[in-house]
Amino acid sequence: MIFNSYDFIVFIVVVFVLYWFVFKNSAKYQNILLLISSLFFYCWADWRFLGILVFNILFNFYLAKKIDKVNKEKTKQLVLWFGIIVNIGILGYYKYFNFFYESIQSIIDPNASFTALSILIPLGISFYTFQTLAYIIDVYYEDIAPYNNLFVFSTYMTYFPKLLSGPIEKAQYLIPQLITKRPFDYYIIVDGLRQILWGLFAKIVIAENCAIIVNPIFENYNIHSGSTLFVVGFFYMIQLYADFSGYSNMAIGVSKLLGIKLSRNFATPFFSLNIGDFWRKWHMSLTSWMLNYIFTPLSFILRSYQKLGLIISVVFTFLIVGLWHGANWTYVVFGLIHGLYFIPVIYSGSMNISSAIVDENKWLPSIFSIFKMAILFMQVMLVAIFFRAESISMAINYLKGIFSASLLQIPYAVLNGRNILIVLLIVVFLGLEWINRGKAHDLEISNYPKIIRWVLYIFIFLLLLFAGQSTDAFIYFQF
Amino acid sequence: MERLNVITKLETILAEVLEHKNFVITDELTAKDVDGWDSLSHMMIITHIEKSFDIKFKLRDLNKLNNVGALISVIQSKL
Repeated sequence: MIFNSYDFIVFIVVVFVLYWFVFKNSAKYQNILLLISSLFFYCWADWRFLGILVFNILFNFYLAKKIDKVNKEKTKQLVLWFGIIVNIGILGYYKYFNFFYESIQSIIDPNASFTALSILIPLGISFYTFQTLAYIIDVYYEDIAPYNNLFVFSTYMTYFPKLLSGPIEKAQYLIPQLITKRPFDYYIIVDGLRQILWGLFAKIVIAENCAIIVNPIFENYNIHSGSTLFVVGFFYMIQLYADFSGYSNMAIGVSKLLGIKLSRNFATPFFSLNIGDFWRKWHMSLTSWMLNYIFTPLSFILRSYQKLGLIISVVFTFLIVGLWHGANWTYVVFGLIHGLYFIPVIYSGSMNISSAIVDENKWLPSIFSIFKMAILFMQVMLVAIFFRAESISMAINYLKGIFSASLLQIPYAVLNGRNILIVLLIVVFLGLEWINRGKAHDLEISNYPKIIRWVLYIFIFLLLLFAGQSTDAFIYFQF
Repeated sequence: MERLNVITKLETILAEVLEHKNFVITDELTAKDVDGWDSLSHMMIITHIEKSFDIKFKLRDLNKLNNVGALISVIQSKL
């Protein structure tokens, strides 16, 4: 059941009515409703993996208590490591077993044929495993005390708006909101609806229309000119962004309907001046997880090596970011290149440039900003080809195709009226993001005059109706 | 060491790593308020503090550094 489906509309309307009109008097009853509806939501998507989710919740709930109870530092550490190994072990088995098995086998015997075990990846496992890892590590470091209420902890873990694809939420951020009574706030609910509308626009108008251009070219990339491949690279980058940021906006918006705030996951990342700035605004809940639990400890250990230590830490962190996405060398290379992009930033010291909003209080970006943003877009777009390609060799051939003499040809294969219209839609999409770049989300227009707000709503709604494409998946569901 | 001395020393370290002096040290000051004090420069600042005050941080200490006031307290506790 994805957010942009009729099933989900029925589901959320029923939950909304029960939540605000039947169970409104007690946070406890609202939470019972949330827990039951979240389990229903998960089972609707795929009931076979419910057992793993339940195990994850119970295991980490009791493990955190154990970490807290133990007095001896050494034993505390051992319990934590046991927890980390079990969590990573389960994630690793489902997500990476075939990958490592194949990689090791090809080293031992390059000629042997490889038979993949048919292991299905449990939905949302990368997201909820990272949440529980953060939880037990935070308890170990005494940043938080373990929670005593299994029911509230389970509600936090299974909370359906963020269950399948994030944002990756910390317990200490979400649980306090679950414990207290949520007041019915008309403005928050309307804001949620706005954010859902924007997410729908990003997903079914922008991302899906880009996919229609991107998919056939990637399937036969070897017959197309460099210029076509380049243009399609641009469309893919937009698709990837619109798909996941659209999903995140819908998730956050749906949660607002229930009066619960989720973390922001994207903050107009294309309007960044360097790669560090970009990652502060792209998949923010994952970046901040990686920052807290991989980069900081590692760079702390390596701090005596100064800038070299920083570089090793950044590159390693991004290798993990890449691998988090899935068991394929293409993701590893994706992470590696992003890590390497940081080297000039670290050495030049341009990381010291303020990462505030680009050209704040100005209508248009300066020439300098446009230049920087264009370079950054090219950087991330070229790496995104590894993200999209099925293998490294395919990605390399695609890139070779781009950087060939035919780069200067006119890209006839993608040059048609329909695609020009899609470019115009992308301009509208990014244009509105530019205007609202300093706001809490991309369609935070509550301060606009009523007439303009309604014109925008109707305009987007009409686009959904007439330019939207149906879909049954999100790119990030596979992770 | 006097708190004031710690602050003066800290000011020099921040100016050196961040290459500017556009900040005023207060207890409530956070990294977010200071240009360029991000996750990359943070570790450089930590290393400089360790050297300059001849102290050693623990990873556990780092998690407690919510603002400059907390940083000063942690430094003082190690002197």
